[in-house]
Amino acid sequence: MTKTPSANRKKNHEINRRKRGEYLFGYSCIAPQILGFLVFVLGPLVMVIVYGFENRNLLTGKTTFAGLSNFTTLFTKDPLFYKTLGNTLVFTLGLVPLSVLSSLLLALAVRKDSMRNTVFRTIYFAPVVTAAVAWAIVWKFLLQGDQGIVNKVLAVVGIHGPNWLQEPGWAMGAVIVTRVIKNLGMNIIIYLAAVTNLPDELYEAARIDGASKLQAFRKLTVPLLMPTTLMITMITVIGSLKIFDHIMLMTEGGPSNATMVLVYYIYYQGFRFFETGYASALSLVLFVIVLGLTLAQWGIGKRFSYQEG
Amino acid sequence: MKKSMMVFMALIVSGAMFLQNVAAQTATGPVELRFTVWTGNAAHLSMLSDIAAKYKAVHPNVSVKFDTIPYGDYPQKLAVQLAGSNAPDAGWITEADAPTFIQADALLDITKAVAAYNYADFAKSATGLWEKGGKVYGVPFSNSPLIIFYNKTLFEKAGIATPTELAAKGQWTWEAFASAAKQIKAKTGTYGYQTLDGSGYTDNLWATIVPMIRAYGGDVWDAQGNCTIASPESVKAVTLLHSMIYTDKSVVPPGEQADFFAGAAGMTMSQISRVSKLQDAAFKWGLVALPKGPAGEAQVIGQAAVVAFKAGKHTAEAADFVAFMTNKENVATMTKFFPPARVSVLDSEAFTKGNPSIPPEVMSSVVGYALKNGKILPSNPNFPKIDLIARSSFDQLWRPDADVKSVLSKVASSIAPLLK
Repeated sequence: MTKTPSANRKKNHEINRRKRGEYLFGYSCIAPQILGFLVFVLGPLVMVIVYGFENRNLLTGKTTFAGLSNFTTLFTKDPLFYKTLGNTLVFTLGLVPLSVLSSLLLALAVRKDSMRNTVFRTIYFAPVVTAAVAWAIVWKFLLQGDQGIVNKVLAVVGIHGPNWLQEPGWAMGAVIVTRVIKNLGMNIIIYLAAVTNLPDELYEAARIDGASKLQAFRKLTVPLLMPTTLMITMITVIGSLKIFDHIMLMTEGGPSNATMVLVYYIYYQGFRFFETGYASALSLVLFVIVLGLTLAQWGIGKRFSYQEG
Repeated sequence: MKKSMMVFMALIVSGAMFLQNVAAQTATGPVELRFTVWTGNAAHLSMLSDIAAKYKAVHPNVSVKFDTIPYGDYPQKLAVQLAGSNAPDAGWITEADAPTFIQADALLDITKAVAAYNYADFAKSATGLWEKGGKVYGVPFSNSPLIIFYNKTLFEKAGIATPTELAAKGQWTWEAFASAAKQIKAKTGTYGYQTLDGSGYTDNLWATIVPMIRAYGGDVWDAQGNCTIASPESVKAVTLLHSMIYTDKSVVPPGEQADFFAGAAGMTMSQISRVSKLQDAAFKWGLVALPKGPAGEAQVIGQAAVVAFKAGKHTAEAADFVAFMTNKENVATMTKFFPPARVSVLDSEAFTKGNPSIPPEVMSSVVGYALKNGKILPSNPNFPKIDLIARSSFDQLWRPDADVKSVLSKVASSIAPLLK
């Protein structure tokens, strides 16, 4: 027996009503998140784009349309901009390989469950849960010149350490290393999750074929962990571009602008010089860089997931 | 139609009356003034709260909340608060920031409010920075000379003459200062000198170098905006400081922490307000005016004023409170920590006997003397930029092998365009 058209309509109507209800419920669930995103992310982002094309002063409150002048100043008349860009690059190139490589090696070292490894995992993870401010201040204290504990330890083995945070040649290195240690634990955890899923049979086959441990690492571990490595690399790269707290607390961009990175320069222009328009233009440059890297991550990530499939 | 018109009119009238009522209530309703300061010192805050309590006794609807912003972050945090919806009503401002805030039109014209008392009682040399176009934008509450604090116990331990003894003989010079610091380091192992609040290479750079430079006959820039920081006199003075840090190793160097108030340095440059930190000191201490240089006396004054902010919510009450806080009675109260700019208070016992930790003769011969002979620290409307740009060039000076003359020339060329 076939249903009458009116019964069908009624049924469709019922389905639509239920669907609408489901949609409504779904949207109400994500509403707080969407609202937060609009107010705290999208809204400020739009404002920064507008401010980037204005001459704005935080203290006077005076605003005039600037057109592209902030950007022409930035690219043609501001040598400090290129220095900060260079410093940001040095910071990223120093931090990322060091962070990725050391977390991979440490993850492999503590991969097996044992009492000893649990202790080490806890030690490696402790800096992650330490407040960033406390971390930076303590390191600033440890890295003092002759009175610093790091230099006192070095003196025991006959090395005269530099005044780490006061010498342009050493300050960036000191900031990078302390930052690597701070976030190492998180990367180790991500690697550990991937390492424990590595198929034992592949290693067994490699061993039977006579592969050495180093060969197994190079030909099996490294390629198998490549998606994880890529993800960690991208997270670390984007995180390194956004570095601020560490620089603010340890060096304030000094000495002689040696650790002045892009985000700290944005703060410097906006809140120390009160040039919020110019600072917004700088923020837009950072935004474009991070956007470019994120798109690159998507591209590379997709290629790897196809290969896996 | 007529009826509805009448109802409409009645609604408008009653609405207007209601609004008027609300406005009247607001005018006399409770007002909380937010007052920003950079001190976190309990003794200072308690003194300020006492003044606020006295004001409340006369104006029961007005209470004042003191909000501490750390000194190093003060101007920028204040600017953010003023630009946002969180503007304080009144607060402190240093001499360095005065021209910047006045030029930015951020301060309230309080000429009428201070007309309530004898404004002429304030020394003309002290109020100049806070007036523009015949209008008053701030009243200096602290006209505090930079002086030398010394650890008498360490001097005795080193077996050398104290700065007070040297000053009595007319031998208290920057050379003698450097020599004392060197001997303390050599004989006790403790640093001889800590810069002002330990931040002489950063936040207090100017207060650290200006007294020495002026005593050698130089200055950092002049009133016409000419940069003189690389003059031979300035180079001589800064060379002395540099050799103290890197040759004698008698100064707490950049990046190291050793606090005079904890007994970890023989001397420091500071102001009377920091005497409260010596209350529980485990050592004997003394105060002395700044040393002389080849060009003679050069006492230097750091100034701070009470201002009301234009962006504040309660401007009338804020202006009135600023006037109250700087009346003769309250200036006399604040004298124990903040040397006054009021001539009548400066000449009174309220000043010499204001701080029980400091003998009256020291108060008049050291602080009073420095005040009468002192010149205020440099300022400029572009100060925030000058300060930060100069500091990044100065960083090159804080190395053992630095060439003082070439670094100062670099500083001069980097800040000269901003001075005009």
